[in-house]
Amino acid sequence: MRKAFYAAGFAALLMTSTASAQTLNVATAGDQNMVDYIKDYLGPLFEKQHPGVKVVAVGTGPGDGGSQKIYEKLEAQNKASAPADFDVVVIHQKAAGTMVQEKLLKKYRDELPTGKLVTRDTATNSLGTDVSGYVMPMFHSQTAIAYNPDLIKEPPNSYVELRDWVKKNPKQFGYNGIKGGMSGVAFVTGWVAAFAGDEAKLEKGPYDAATKASWDKAMADLKEFNKNVVITPGNAGTLDMLNRGEIAMGPVWVDMFYSWKAEGKLPPNMRLKLVSPGMPGQPMYYAIPEKTAQNKLAAEFVALATSPDVQAEGIVKRFNWYPGIDAKNLEGKLDQAVWNQLFADIPPDALAANGKPFPIGPYFNDILETYEKKVAN
Amino acid sequence: MARPSFFGLLLIAPALAMIGVLFLYPLGFSLSSAVTGPGGELSFAAFQKAYELYSTDILFTLFIVIVSTLLTALCSIAIAGILTLSETPWLVAILRSLYRWPLFIPFIVAAQCMRTFLAKNGLMNNSLVALGLMEPIQATSFLDWRGIIITFVWKQVPFVTLMLAGAMASIDRATIEAGRNLGASRLRVLIELVLPQVAQTLLVGLVLSFVTMLSVLSVPMMVAGSQPTMLTVDMAFRINSYGDYATANALGVISYVIAGTVAWIYLRHNVKREAQI
Repeated sequence: MRKAFYAAGFAALLMTSTASAQTLNVATAGDQNMVDYIKDYLGPLFEKQHPGVKVVAVGTGPGDGGSQKIYEKLEAQNKASAPADFDVVVIHQKAAGTMVQEKLLKKYRDELPTGKLVTRDTATNSLGTDVSGYVMPMFHSQTAIAYNPDLIKEPPNSYVELRDWVKKNPKQFGYNGIKGGMSGVAFVTGWVAAFAGDEAKLEKGPYDAATKASWDKAMADLKEFNKNVVITPGNAGTLDMLNRGEIAMGPVWVDMFYSWKAEGKLPPNMRLKLVSPGMPGQPMYYAIPEKTAQNKLAAEFVALATSPDVQAEGIVKRFNWYPGIDAKNLEGKLDQAVWNQLFADIPPDALAANGKPFPIGPYFNDILETYEKKVAN
Repeated sequence: MARPSFFGLLLIAPALAMIGVLFLYPLGFSLSSAVTGPGGELSFAAFQKAYELYSTDILFTLFIVIVSTLLTALCSIAIAGILTLSETPWLVAILRSLYRWPLFIPFIVAAQCMRTFLAKNGLMNNSLVALGLMEPIQATSFLDWRGIIITFVWKQVPFVTLMLAGAMASIDRATIEAGRNLGASRLRVLIELVLPQVAQTLLVGLVLSFVTMLSVLSVPMMVAGSQPTMLTVDMAFRINSYGDYATANALGVISYVIAGTVAWIYLRHNVKREAQI
């Protein structure tokens, strides 16, 4: 019944939007920087190459919640047998798996000219679901611990050292829990992987519902740990508090960190540290809904977005993400200084060793729920 | 007799339909989906989950809303009292022109202002430090439960004051003057003569404020971190991140119960008064 209501609402929306046929609707989950990227950079570039086409970018909100909204809308339209009014969607890993399983996405990558430039295994495996062919990675991002070197001379190298540091320096470490964006979620899943063992099983499966019982000790420790930390109001909230000097250390997204620094919203001396045994990172995916009316245009949009030039200029240089396609395709497109900047604090070998994927879907949900039950409540 | 009542029904039909479609149906729907299991059977699993995950947040919400309501009552009585009883015209004029401003500011804007005002190195602490009233090292962030309460009180005081000052202005001045003539202090006049006459209005204002504060999402989300937080944030999280409407609806029902209890207190009081008259 609820779905029927949705469908009616979306149908009304559809009628208003079909007026101009050459509109490409791009829905993107994630923080404001994602919308900015499409509205200010990629959209205008595409419009220049395709006169008469208008790119409309819609943001659906940070974290998995943003992707969940896109999923719910496509699912409702699918149930109502209505055409999708999003032509290109930008989604997180968890939602991508669900959407592929429910056949809401088009298998388009193999026909894409840039499809072969992708080498990382996240393009075929999204948190344990085979998404091969359905998604194109837009970029990869990574979480890490940001710290203020004026206050911390020797940042902790591992979760264990971090735990001891927080005990000695109460209220100097801040993170955003699990309701305010993915940097806090990443910190928590990293904690479970570090202290509850069996990281490989979390990342690759197979899923065993009994595993979560073995996290009790790690979660109890995290509750203890939380007594000495500041809970910030979001991804941006952590950066804000770092900037105002209210905390000395906290987990952040690497790209947001660099962007804020470039915009002068963080002191230039701030540094990053990727602690061992590792913190998660994730790609965002470009995907095309199965029932879009703008098939060809959508594929062209993704092809442009994943072309080496755009990946170099837009993804790496302007927005400080790691490229979604294999980095060797970007050689010669960027000057060395920009490239070095991206790896200044986290060298490629540290990234390879300590940059982890998020746990597979069911473990991921279990971790979040156990956190709410055992730590937050 | 049948005809007039038919036309009467016809006249109120649009209003009834509106209430039915926009209020009763969604209410019933969320109530029923809170007690429906995945297979469509009667189940209290959603409530159990809500309790397991959010029992702290339920208590936290109650605490915030009750404390905010009490503080709102105190501030409103003080301001309305000054407006009615003060003998200093310029003070009354300034207060009258200032107190209503927050009424026109949406909760989300208020929350955004408080975020920069109440932060550890925010405007408030910086001003206090600059005035020499405080050392920088003593500065603490108010962006936690205190921030939520401050924002709520700041936002709701004008609303209650507006109602209260209106009611106070319309009571018989003779009672106040009689009290003053017999030597009662202004505070005593306020508490013993004025307040009992406007208690009904105060109660209405506070009940409405209570229910409003219970339903605000933006303030707890923006002002404070997420642990603990208010039920509205938890509901939004269950829906946004999991599409878990059952638990969100269970939390909603818990909110109805809290709001309903307050409404019941109000109604009972109201009926008692009507019976007296």
